[in-house]
Amino acid sequence: MNRGRGWLDGLYASGVTPASFLPDASLGHRHEPDEGAASSGVEVEIVEDAELRVHPVVASTAPDGMSFLDGIQQWKVIGYDRVQPIALAYVAAAVRRRDSGRRLATAAWAARQLVIAPTQVLDEGRRATLEEAGLEAVPVEVEAGTQPAQALEALRREVHRARAGLERQLGERAAGGLGPGDWLVVDGQVAVSATLAKHPRSIGVIKSHGAQFLTGRHLERALTIPAEHRTSGFRVRGGHGRTEVDSWYLRLWPWEGRDLHYGLIRVETARDDGRGTRAAELSGWLLAERAPLAAPDARFDRLLYPIHDVESYLRSRAPHHLMASPASRLPRTGT
Amino acid sequence: MIRKTDETPIGRVVATELKPATPHQFHFWTATETSIGIGAIVKVLGPGAGDLGSGRIVYGVVTDGFAYSDLVTPLHDVIGAEGDPARAAESPTERPEIRLWTAAVLRQIPEEPLQPVPLGAVHVATDADVAAALRMDAYLNTAQPTAIPVGLYESGGLEAPVYLDADFLLGPEAAHLNISGVSGLATKTSAVEFLLSSIFHHYPAHRGSVAALCFNVKGPDLLFLDQPGAADDSDRRRYARLGIAPGPFERVRYFAPFKADGVNLNTLRTHPDLAQSVEPLVWGLTEVLDFAEVLLNRDDIDAKADAFIDFLGDRVVRREFADGFGGEHRVETFADLERLFRSIFDGLELAGRGDIWRTHHIATIRKVRNRLGNVSTRCKGLVTDDGPASDLPWGRFEDRGVYVIDVANVDPLGQDLVFARVVSKLREHLERRDLGVDAVVVFVDELNKYAPADGADTYVKKMLLDISERGRYLGLVLFGAEQFRSQVHRRVVGNAGTQVFGRMDSDELATPGYQVLSPATKIKLATLPVGELMVRHPHFTQPIFVRFPRPPVLRGRDGVERFPPAVDLLFADAVALQLVRLDARVRTNQVKDLIAGHEEMDVRRALAAVRRERPADALAMFRKRLGVRVASEPARERSPVQPLGPIAEEPY
Repeated sequence: MNRGRGWLDGLYASGVTPASFLPDASLGHRHEPDEGAASSGVEVEIVEDAELRVHPVVASTAPDGMSFLDGIQQWKVIGYDRVQPIALAYVAAAVRRRDSGRRLATAAWAARQLVIAPTQVLDEGRRATLEEAGLEAVPVEVEAGTQPAQALEALRREVHRARAGLERQLGERAAGGLGPGDWLVVDGQVAVSATLAKHPRSIGVIKSHGAQFLTGRHLERALTIPAEHRTSGFRVRGGHGRTEVDSWYLRLWPWEGRDLHYGLIRVETARDDGRGTRAAELSGWLLAERAPLAAPDARFDRLLYPIHDVESYLRSRAPHHLMASPASRLPRTGT
Repeated sequence: MIRKTDETPIGRVVATELKPATPHQFHFWTATETSIGIGAIVKVLGPGAGDLGSGRIVYGVVTDGFAYSDLVTPLHDVIGAEGDPARAAESPTERPEIRLWTAAVLRQIPEEPLQPVPLGAVHVATDADVAAALRMDAYLNTAQPTAIPVGLYESGGLEAPVYLDADFLLGPEAAHLNISGVSGLATKTSAVEFLLSSIFHHYPAHRGSVAALCFNVKGPDLLFLDQPGAADDSDRRRYARLGIAPGPFERVRYFAPFKADGVNLNTLRTHPDLAQSVEPLVWGLTEVLDFAEVLLNRDDIDAKADAFIDFLGDRVVRREFADGFGGEHRVETFADLERLFRSIFDGLELAGRGDIWRTHHIATIRKVRNRLGNVSTRCKGLVTDDGPASDLPWGRFEDRGVYVIDVANVDPLGQDLVFARVVSKLREHLERRDLGVDAVVVFVDELNKYAPADGADTYVKKMLLDISERGRYLGLVLFGAEQFRSQVHRRVVGNAGTQVFGRMDSDELATPGYQVLSPATKIKLATLPVGELMVRHPHFTQPIFVRFPRPPVLRGRDGVERFPPAVDLLFADAVALQLVRLDARVRTNQVKDLIAGHEEMDVRRALAAVRRERPADALAMFRKRLGVRVASEPARERSPVQPLGPIAEEPY
């Protein structure tokens, strides 16, 4: 990934003003909320019980051959063409597999380094410079006269898309290669990919709860389940995910005294007509993944340690120039 | 056999702002399962290094190790296991661990310009790497090698010989060896025995001849150097790797003073099968007079007494001497000296010439007489009043010979005298180059006792300092051993070019002298197994751990089990036994009949003469030296004096 600075010097020589700016949340990936799922044509059907109920969960040992998929995105503004930002982004995804040794090893990895800018900024000459350096030039449609802050938001969405695309691509490939007893745990929805959503041994673990699939007393019951309990399984059709999946909520840690969403995850699997038999088993596996704790990640209450491990692996391979600067942006003294 | 470089790296150098690589230290990580440990020697190949490039090669020795996971605080582990330690082991995933090692640079190639260690691949060292890392190539692969094997560097299945440079072990560049370690576990005596064997096998011919003189200062430690010791296959393999033929020393001579009875030797090597190989160490006036100051209190030796003792040494002893009162003397023994003193006192008294004899005041003469007269009493068994001395073979030391002087049961004054005289004689002969060998290794154990950092200045300490500071020019080399190095005189340990450490006491390791060692190295030293040592040598920039095979000689405590000491014999039996050893034809009863009625002192004198001259007919000479016994005559009967008759008229 070390391509030298020649392309950057060429970019600056073409009239771009150098900049070095890390937008908020540019060094990780904050999942896009499950936007609009609850209010735009999502159908939910309780499939396990007559109505949404709460079931105790007993932690159980997952089988060998569990794989975990996650991705990261990092980006920073490297220059401005007049007031239009140009960003350098790095997106990567990896699958780490756990066998009988309880240790994770990398099964698949992919990364892309992109230069993202409004279309009008990336003229032919600049594209050629970037392509010569082996970088992907990604133009983003931004209307002329758009505020730089709005342009930045468009760039961020493009970075997010690139990361999600890479994750999906790697996940589908990994799911295709799973052995008969292997499972794939995905950080996020499986519903975003038809392949994953239909695979009988893929599990999506969703930590953010921007989208609500339940309402009323069902919603209240789902969000207040005690630790080591889960809801009945429900089936989700439509919305952000285009493929029908089964889902349920699972509480990993007690939320009392903390936050309503503390320790709460939503699980997605392929549609299963077993009416909840898998939910009990898979919940037991996921509950066992509370240890080791994914601290110091702030999301440790919902972040499974193997997913945290994948993130750590990806960060260790990420290019150094996109890593966070210390709190102060003043020059460092070198000691 | 030289192993080629293993192409597979076992680690990689890492450097961060907090843990940078420097010209003297670097850090590297390895897989969790690795053969690397504290003391392992590794090689770093910088970019371009190896067969195809000309990059930098760095050799280092591992001095510290770290293992940690991504756990930020132990509390996270507690929470993850919900407070149950058993559950912590049941977690589906193990946290990744790192094995991070710190290594001290042994050598960089090229040596100039000296630069930080490159962030390259780390390989385990091969035989050739060990030789290069320790700079042994300078004295190992030369036209006239001076390499002395000290043990094997062992790591991950590799056994590479480690060599000391004879020029820096036995002089003249540097010299002396000091070995420290706790009693019983550090194998100090075994290490010295092995090293002497190694020196005898590998001391280069072009450097001349070498012998060893060992003071046995405790128990039976050094009393069985001529007997083969136990060795197993691993010992034999190590000996083969080091190029040493395992076996006891071939030329060993033992010396021990007598006990107070003057006929039983003061040593534990008195088993009938071995006792004949122990020679008595007995000194008379001429041997002792030069070291009178060792035996006399400092308060006794004022300038006047010193001058008179010098006068005796220069003008009287072993010379024909006229006392000025008509008497002619030849003083060779304490008894002769006593006769001279009596002659002087009688002469002065009869002549009425006052209190001065030959410019010396009679009080001074009386004082010296009194003090010297006590010497044989205070060092009974070592110093004889009368009779010939029995000494080390000065001028006839043999190449590869070992001379053991057993002073283990000699009182401190006698030990002082033995150390002072033996070391002085060694120095004299080496200065004149007429000792018989070019270099002598003097081994002294228990330096904590004989050369303590504090305490009074004894003659033993003076002698040890003398060897340490001036010995290397003469070929007089001190191998010293002690339990606590920090409590030995700093000039004695400081002058030792080679430092060896066995298992160390933790308290000792906490003293300032060990601050240069990393905590891990200290822990390794505190738990060092028997047979492993840490060696510092002028050519090695860092301490190196080596293993040595068991010495090829019988250990002291095994020796006394196999050859239990004989009980002390009665005077007559002891004399007879000594004569029988000199001449097998001698019968015990003959000896007993001969000595019956003789003074023990006369018998000892006659025996010493026979022992010294070793005649063909021992009994005849003994009889002659003993002299004719003068038969006592019965007292004549005397007629009693008749009592006076009573006088009746006497009124009183």
